[in-house]
Amino acid sequence: MTHQSPLERLLRGLALVLVVCFFIFPILWIVLMSFQTNETILRSPPSVVFRPTVSNYAAIISGHLDSNVASMGIEFMRNLMNSVILSAGSVALSLVLGVPAAYAFARHKFRGSEDIAFTLLSFRFAPPLLVLLPLTLYFQQIGLADTYLGLIWVYQLICLPLILWIVRGYFEDISPDIEHAYRIAGHSWFSTFCRISLPLAGPGIAAAALLAFIFAWNNFVFALVLASADKQPVTVGALAFVTASGIQYGQIAAAVVLSILPVLALALYAQRYLVEGLSLGAVKG
Amino acid sequence: MHEKEKDLVDAYMRGQMSRRSLLRGLAALGMTAGTASVLVNAAATRALAADFDWKAHSGKSVKLLLNKHPYTDAMIANLENFKALTGMNVEYDIFPEDVYFDKVTAALSSRSSEYDAFMTGAYMTWTYGPAGWVVDHSEWIQDAAKTNPHYNWDDMLEGVRKSCAWNGQPGGALGSEDAKQWCIPWGYEQNNLTYNAAMLEKAGVGVPTDLDGLMEAAAAAQAANEGVYGIGVRGSRSWATIHPGFLSAYANLGQSDLNVNDDGKLSAAMNTAGSKDFHAKWVKMIQDSGARDWSTHTWYQVGTDLGAGKSAMIYDADILGYFMNGAGNAMEGQLAYAPFAASGDGKPTPNIWIWSLAMSKFSKQPDAAWYFLQWASGPEHALFGATQMDFVNPVRKSVWADAGFRDRLSGSYPGYVDMHDVSAPGASIKFTPQPLFFDLMTEWAASLQKMVAKEVPVDEGLDQLAASIDRQLKDAGLG
Repeated sequence: MTHQSPLERLLRGLALVLVVCFFIFPILWIVLMSFQTNETILRSPPSVVFRPTVSNYAAIISGHLDSNVASMGIEFMRNLMNSVILSAGSVALSLVLGVPAAYAFARHKFRGSEDIAFTLLSFRFAPPLLVLLPLTLYFQQIGLADTYLGLIWVYQLICLPLILWIVRGYFEDISPDIEHAYRIAGHSWFSTFCRISLPLAGPGIAAAALLAFIFAWNNFVFALVLASADKQPVTVGALAFVTASGIQYGQIAAAVVLSILPVLALALYAQRYLVEGLSLGAVKG
Repeated sequence: MHEKEKDLVDAYMRGQMSRRSLLRGLAALGMTAGTASVLVNAAATRALAADFDWKAHSGKSVKLLLNKHPYTDAMIANLENFKALTGMNVEYDIFPEDVYFDKVTAALSSRSSEYDAFMTGAYMTWTYGPAGWVVDHSEWIQDAAKTNPHYNWDDMLEGVRKSCAWNGQPGGALGSEDAKQWCIPWGYEQNNLTYNAAMLEKAGVGVPTDLDGLMEAAAAAQAANEGVYGIGVRGSRSWATIHPGFLSAYANLGQSDLNVNDDGKLSAAMNTAGSKDFHAKWVKMIQDSGARDWSTHTWYQVGTDLGAGKSAMIYDADILGYFMNGAGNAMEGQLAYAPFAASGDGKPTPNIWIWSLAMSKFSKQPDAAWYFLQWASGPEHALFGATQMDFVNPVRKSVWADAGFRDRLSGSYPGYVDMHDVSAPGASIKFTPQPLFFDLMTEWAASLQKMVAKEVPVDEGLDQLAASIDRQLKDAGLG
């Protein structure tokens, strides 16, 4: 263990504080803005000294916003709930479809397997609008337009390739000998998959699911094109505070704070899996 | 309603008394102005029903695609009257303005029948109309069986009405005889001056009346007010930088964006001597007295800075100045308005933005949708929106003639009514309609940015811009 002088420790601590402040500052500033009125935010020069107000949060939660022109209704909490439904639903479906598929691609080499895997990956490269406009027509014909189910299906363009390709790497890292040993003991293939492969790839699956959730949460264009206003996620809903009569900076800040909370909570909860999972997948033996 | 109140409202509806007298009479009976106006509006709705079969589409439901805007709020506040009048239901989707036109374009280009009608800007119909995405509304306007006798199409301000009609020929005059009415004007914005009277007074300058005066006033206001820049104009790399004050002044000096040759071909008109002179002054004004981050300024930054007291005046949409004079702004109640003619002849010719309503070509019930459109753009709703909500600027002459509306505006927005009265005769779209509108105007804005940043001299920049535009017009078969 190397010895550090008090001065070194002080400098190191100071450097760490500076680095943390640098990265945290934008978020801290947004949090501070969320407790200010528009007038306070726009004063020149800006100041961190202000009388805090929760009116921005109250407006968002109550759905009633008093702008400089008139009162208007906002649906941000519904947008937030839509984001939760769409992101959680699409990740859940991707896990159900993608994890067994990833296992198959990792363990079983069959004719066309790589082609199929790359085809699925290519969904990530497709310009969204190129896909969405024809899809709008089909969705209207088959009754999926403006439904959560239809949107969750389209969100598979984001989540499924991500989960499939990340989880495939984890399955490939697990030695097949462990599975063989379990099967020699008389267990079925499905039992081996559930009791051996899945638990061993657990951190990787959690990491992939979390990443897919974040990508789905941040998506903007899918719901915008395919759904009505009542099914829009927070990414679209947050723009409601930018109106012809002015930008409601305080409400935008409060909306940002509220919209990052679910992802932040999930990330903190899954942090251990995330670091473990990502590092496991990154280093191949 | 009590008999006395009913008699007063009925007398008003028969034209036997003015709106102001009616409100005064109802006030004497103990009724607030708000309640009185609701009563009048309800009576107007009943009167509408007398001469026209408003129930022809009773039971049907139309769906609208709307932008989040005070005009929309005003319509929703009055929607129950429409439902009562027609027996129809109205559903609507409201999207924020930042993504609104993406949603419209996606819905129309995919030929979706979900929305029967939608809000649009007149410029957008230069794309939607020729593409066959919107109907020619003339068919409905001119059909006496489908349009109520009180609709009074001619009550629409002429420049605004004509600006929403185009024959689809690149360079074709707006509102020509063979033009198709691609949209119905709903509310509009003129580009004029909104100024901070105290800041100009502190600088010892009056309200500018020509371009040189504008440059001097902006510089003086900036010098006299610490931390304040002289004039707010848009500067982002977008077509929207060109259309407000910039094009209004440019057109007032007799300049145009494109030449329309005898053979119908188009060519760039930005590199004439007059245009170069104007550009040089405009660029210098921004360099000397504009925002330091001018190249990022859109509608929002221009308005926000004026409302926060960071700029002395703006040359932009009048309703932007209207909004910034409202509650919640540091400069609430301190702004004033003036018409502006860059040439100094006192005859402003503002370019305008028109929020309009249009029916989708893919609607399965256009006749029912038209019932909504004629009500929403009709004189009764226009008056309700203007007097009870923030529906400024109305597009109907009758609303601008209403004493109650004028008094209300003049009370809180000094100079606004006069500004409108002086500017309205010359207010129209000054662009040449053509299918490359958004691309070419965005390039113009990019070119302006280079000139302000001194990356290219004004003369050279405009020659380069004109050459590039001519090339694109030729490539598209337009030049």
